[in-house]
Amino acid sequence: MPFVADILQHRSLSIVGMEKNTGKTVCLNYILRRLNDMHVHVGVTSIGVDGEQTDAVFATAKPEITLYRGSHFITSEKHYAARQLVSEIEATGGVRTALGVPVLAKVLVGGKVLLSGAATTRALLGQIALLSDAGCQVAIVDGALSRLSLASPAVTEAMILATGAAVSSSLPTLVGHTRFLYGLIGLPEVSEALKERLENIESGIWAVDKEGEVHSLGVASVFLIGDQTRELLRYGRTLFAAGAVSDRLLQALAASQEGVELIVKDFTRLFVSRQTYAEFVKRGGGLQVLRRPQLVAVTFNPFSPQGFMLDSKQACTALSEALGVPVYDVKQIER
Amino acid sequence: MKIKELIKQDEGLRYAVDSMEFMSSAGHRYALETNFETDAEGLEAEWRRTSRAVACLECSSESQPFKDLMHCLMQLHDVRSTLASLAAGIELSEVELFEVKHLAFISDKARTAIGGLDLTDILPLPDLSGVFSLLDPDHSGVDHFYIYDSYHPRLASLRQQLNGMQDKEDAASGAAELFDEIRRIEQQVCTTLCDGLKQYSSNAIKSMEQMAYADFLLAKARLCEQWGLARPVVGSQLSLEGLFNPRLKHHNEQVGARYQPVDIAACAGATLITGANMAGKTVLLKSIATAQLMVQCGFFAPAAKAVVPLFGGLEMSVGDGQNEMNGLSSYASEMVRISQILEQSRRQRMLVLIDEPARTTNPVEGKALVEALVEICQRSESTALITTHYSGLGNHCRRLRVKGFREGLSASRLSPMTINQFIDYSLEEDLDGDAPQEALRIAALLGCDAELIEIAKQKYQQSKHTQL
Repeated sequence: MPFVADILQHRSLSIVGMEKNTGKTVCLNYILRRLNDMHVHVGVTSIGVDGEQTDAVFATAKPEITLYRGSHFITSEKHYAARQLVSEIEATGGVRTALGVPVLAKVLVGGKVLLSGAATTRALLGQIALLSDAGCQVAIVDGALSRLSLASPAVTEAMILATGAAVSSSLPTLVGHTRFLYGLIGLPEVSEALKERLENIESGIWAVDKEGEVHSLGVASVFLIGDQTRELLRYGRTLFAAGAVSDRLLQALAASQEGVELIVKDFTRLFVSRQTYAEFVKRGGGLQVLRRPQLVAVTFNPFSPQGFMLDSKQACTALSEALGVPVYDVKQIER
Repeated sequence: MKIKELIKQDEGLRYAVDSMEFMSSAGHRYALETNFETDAEGLEAEWRRTSRAVACLECSSESQPFKDLMHCLMQLHDVRSTLASLAAGIELSEVELFEVKHLAFISDKARTAIGGLDLTDILPLPDLSGVFSLLDPDHSGVDHFYIYDSYHPRLASLRQQLNGMQDKEDAASGAAELFDEIRRIEQQVCTTLCDGLKQYSSNAIKSMEQMAYADFLLAKARLCEQWGLARPVVGSQLSLEGLFNPRLKHHNEQVGARYQPVDIAACAGATLITGANMAGKTVLLKSIATAQLMVQCGFFAPAAKAVVPLFGGLEMSVGDGQNEMNGLSSYASEMVRISQILEQSRRQRMLVLIDEPARTTNPVEGKALVEALVEICQRSESTALITTHYSGLGNHCRRLRVKGFREGLSASRLSPMTINQFIDYSLEEDLDGDAPQEALRIAALLGCDAELIEIAKQKYQQSKHTQL
C-alpha cells in the first residue's frame, strides 16, 4: 500500500490540510486502519479541535477518527467524555484548556473519538513524547495550518500534506498553491549548532552574524520594524524571525536589496504570498528553517465543500508532475 | 495577609518565591496562600519543620526515599475542585475518578517515602488505601483507570460483543445501541463508586494539602541551602547581622561585583539613618523589609544571624509615589502614605520603614515634618527606621550613619558600575547628627557636567560663608 510503509521510518507524523475539507481526516483514518492491519502501535493527538462530527464552517458531514484496540490517544477531558469507544485512562495533566485537562488513554474496544489537542508547540512536543513513552511506535498529529494556532505541526519528523478542490476550483490555481506550499515545506534547514541557539527564542527579530552569534535587535515583533530595515542588518545579512512572518516583512527585506537570509522556525510560520516570496528571492533573498519535516506523501480530495468536483485522475497527474512526487486520492486508494 | 498579596508590595519576597524550585503547581499555590504570621509559637514550629527539612536535604537528598518523594511531588495534580465535588456528593466523571485514584496512588508512595526519611511527625499523610482499593478492583496496583469489567456482571460480555462488531466494521445502529447500554451501566458504576468514596473525601483533601505543603517545605529548605539563610530567633529588638538583599547579592555575583552584607539593630521608637547619596540607604530599608516578611512568612532570614520581634505588620514608604492619574504630586502621595503608616502604627506594633521623607518639598518645612515624624515614631511601640539627608534634626533618638565613601578615591577609577567598590555600606553610631554633605563630590566623581559642578561649588562656598 502506498506511503504507509514510509511512515514507519519515523517516530512522529503530522497530517496537515491546506484548507478545511481537503480530506485530512479521511487520510488519517486510512492510515490508522492500515497501521492497525500491520499491528503497529500508534498514538494520536491533534492541534486544536479536530474530528468534529460536522464541519464548523460548511456543516458538511465530516468523518470521525476511528481508533483501534491497543492504540493510544490524547484528547481533552470534555471530548474524552464524549468518546464512542472503551478506553483506560493512563495519565492526565499538562496545560488545562477551556476543554479541561488533556487525557492520555489506551483503547480497549475500538471506536470513534473527537480529538482536541495541544494549543502550543511546547505542549505538542510534550504530548508526542508522552505517546512515545506509552510505547507508541509512531505518534500521529492531526494538524492544522493556521495563523490562529500557536502549535506547529512541523515539529514531527514526517508530514503528509492534504490538498484538494477546497483550495481552488481551478486546477492550475490549485496546482500553483500546492507547489508553492510544497516548496516552503522543503526549505533548507540551518546547521544543528545554529538551531540549538535559536530554537528557544520565542519572539522578536534577531540578527545572526558570520560567526553564528545571535544578537538582539530590540524588535519585539515584525509589526514594529517600520522603516528600520537598514538598522536590522547592522550585524550582517542573516536574520531570525521567531514568530510569524508576513508579506510586510519580506517586502521590507526585499526592498533593502541586500540579499537577506531569513531564518524562520518552520514553514508554518510563513504567511506570505507567492508574489512577495518570488520578489524576495529575485532580489537575492533566501529562507531557511530550524526544522523541516520529511514529506512522505501528498493526498488529494477532489470534492469541494461548495459541491463541485475536480477530475481526480487529471488533478493527481497534474499535481504529481508539478511536485515531482506521487499524489494520492485517498478515497480512491481506500477502495 | 497572604504571600500572594505581599509579593505585589515587596520585590524581595517575590524574588524569593520566584527562586523556589517547586515540584508541583500545588506546592507553588501553597506558598502563595501562606500567611504573614504574628504568632510566635506557630512560627517557631514552622522554622523547626524547616530545619528538619534542611537537615533532610543535607543528609538524605541522594537517598532512594528522597528521590521517591520528589517523584511523587512531581506527579501531584491540584485536584481540589474534584475533591470538593466528591465531598459535596457531586458525581465525578471517569477522568475525575482517575485523578482521585492517582492521588491515592502517589499519596501511598509519598507516605512510605516520608517514613523512610523519618519525617512522618512533621509531614503526616492520611491513609488512602481504602480509596485505592475501591478504584482498583482487579488489584492491578497501577494508577490507570476505567470502569473495569469487574464492576458490573454485564460489562465484560457487552464489551466483548461491541468488540466483535468493531472487528467486522459493522457500524450499524446495533453497535450504537450496545454502546449506549454500556454507557448506562458505566454511569451506574460511577454513581456507586462516588457514594463509596465520599467517606474518604476529607482525608483525600488532607493528603493533597499535606503533599502540597511538603513540596513548599522542601522548596523552602532548598532556598535556605542555596542562599545561606539563617534560622531566626524571636526577640524584643530587631537585630540582623550580616543582612543581605538576595536579589542584589545575586546580581552582583553575576556581574562579578562585590556585595557587602551589613549589620543593623533597632529597638522600639525611631532610628534615623543618614548617609551620602548612593550609600545604600534605600537598599538597606528594602533588605530589612524583605527579611522581616520572609521571617514572618515562615522562611529563614537572609542574614548570618537574625533576632526579630514579631510585628503586627510592615509599612513602608520608598520611592516616588507620584501618580498623575489620581492628581497627586510626589509630595502629596508621600504625605498621604505616611499618614496611613502613622495611623496603622498607632493601632498595632509595626515595623515602619520610611525612605527620605519630605525630600520633595522645601527644606525648611521638610525638616520640620521629619522632626515631627520622628517625634511621633519615637513615642510609638512600633520600630521605625527613617532615612534622611537633613542635618541638625532636633530629635533625641538613635542615629545611625552609613560609613559611605572610603577616603583616597581616584576619580579615574570610578564609574556607576564600579562605585560600590568604593563604598563602605556598614553602619556606625552617629553622634553629631549631621548628614554627610558629599553630593557635589559624588557628582564630580561620576563625571557629571563640569560647569554645573563648578558653579554649584562656588554657590555652596558662598552660602557657607554667609552662614558664618
